Amino acid sequence: MSKANERAQRAAEERAAQARRESRRRILTIGGVVLAMIVIVGGAVLVSVLNKKEVTVSDAGSSDFGVTIGKKDAPHTVVIYEDFICPFCGELESRTRDDLTKLAEDGKVLVEYRPFDLLSGRVGDYPIRAASAFSVVLEKSGPEVAKKFHDLLYENQPAEDSGDSVTNDDLVALAVEAGATESDVADAIKNVSNKDWVTKATQEATANNVQGTPTILLDGKVFDDGRTVDDLAKNLVDALE
Amino acid sequence: MAATSLGGVNGGLAWVGLLARLVTGGVWIVAGALKITQPDASIAAVRAYQLLPSSLAETVGVALPGLELVIGLALVLGVLTRGAAVLSSLLFVAFIVGIASVWARGIEIDCGCFGGGGSDPGAASSYPWEIARDVALLAASILVVYVGRTRLALDSVLFRPRTARTTQGEGD
Repeated sequence: MSKANERAQRAAEERAAQARRESRRRILTIGGVVLAMIVIVGGAVLVSVLNKKEVTVSDAGSSDFGVTIGKKDAPHTVVIYEDFICPFCGELESRTRDDLTKLAEDGKVLVEYRPFDLLSGRVGDYPIRAASAFSVVLEKSGPEVAKKFHDLLYENQPAEDSGDSVTNDDLVALAVEAGATESDVADAIKNVSNKDWVTKATQEATANNVQGTPTILLDGKVFDDGRTVDDLAKNLVDALE
Repeated sequence: MAATSLGGVNGGLAWVGLLARLVTGGVWIVAGALKITQPDASIAAVRAYQLLPSSLAETVGVALPGLELVIGLALVLGVLTRGAAVLSSLLFVAFIVGIASVWARGIEIDCGCFGGGGSDPGAASSYPWEIARDVALLAASILVVYVGRTRLALDSVLFRPRTARTTQGEGD
């Protein structure tokens, strides 16, 4: 082999080795950067997970701020936190009411509805007026009438941007329709006398990390199995049957 | 790999690319950072679109803010620029589809783009503007993908050929 050939071959080897080093360095750099990115994403996810607040609520039937249907010794419990103006709550109500009522009557579930004020900051005072009226009825006319009133409130739910369309007089009329004696509840509903009750109910919900409505708890655990409210309602009823 | 020339017409594009990187990256960093410490709101925001099954909505709600932050950092610094811009484009497409889909279904929600989220009466009027914004940012991201080598990108330091080619008279 001639010297020129040898030199050319060495140079070629040298170039190939350099190319290999280059590509190795390139891959290591990319790997390093990707690794750094994964670490940042991982860190961010960790921060998120650590900031996540678990909803921890008292058992169905034990709150001072709710109305209960069903028997205490039922195998399942459901707690539903809701705001009287929240449209998803209204939808959930209309999809689950008949089934939950039936299941409660059959002794399969104990359901507690816990209204509070989530949305007054955004939509005006309807959530406060309605929840106050609910507590007036609960206080004066008992849980059965209160549950009926609760159902009527959802059947006559105003849109989020027109809470004023249901006046305090309308609330009195609905309470009477539910079975309350007008003289018992009219003044208190008209004066929104039980604002305090609403504030306390809202504080309790917030303290339990309930951050949205409807928040459903099945046997003490948040139940959110469903893409839409309809799915959620269907899956809840299926889980109880 | 052939190095794109940074002179002439491409030079101008490289500067525009830098601008696109900074704007898009900045938006991602803000959007991600605002949500990282608010996971419950973030999950609720994803859920409000009513597109994903519940468990997936939770995963997306927790992981998305971190991903947004990293894409933003990568774009602003110019690290793995092209890849970051591709991811950025894909995410914007997903967001545009998401907003268009709630709009079409008549669901009124806060897009949750910068924290917040959930039901929001009267939100429909802001959908066109939100979609326009995302389309503009998508265009900026695609521009970065197209230009590839932009000005003041860390990539040009990280991936600079270390050994000068003796055969080439001109360095860069």
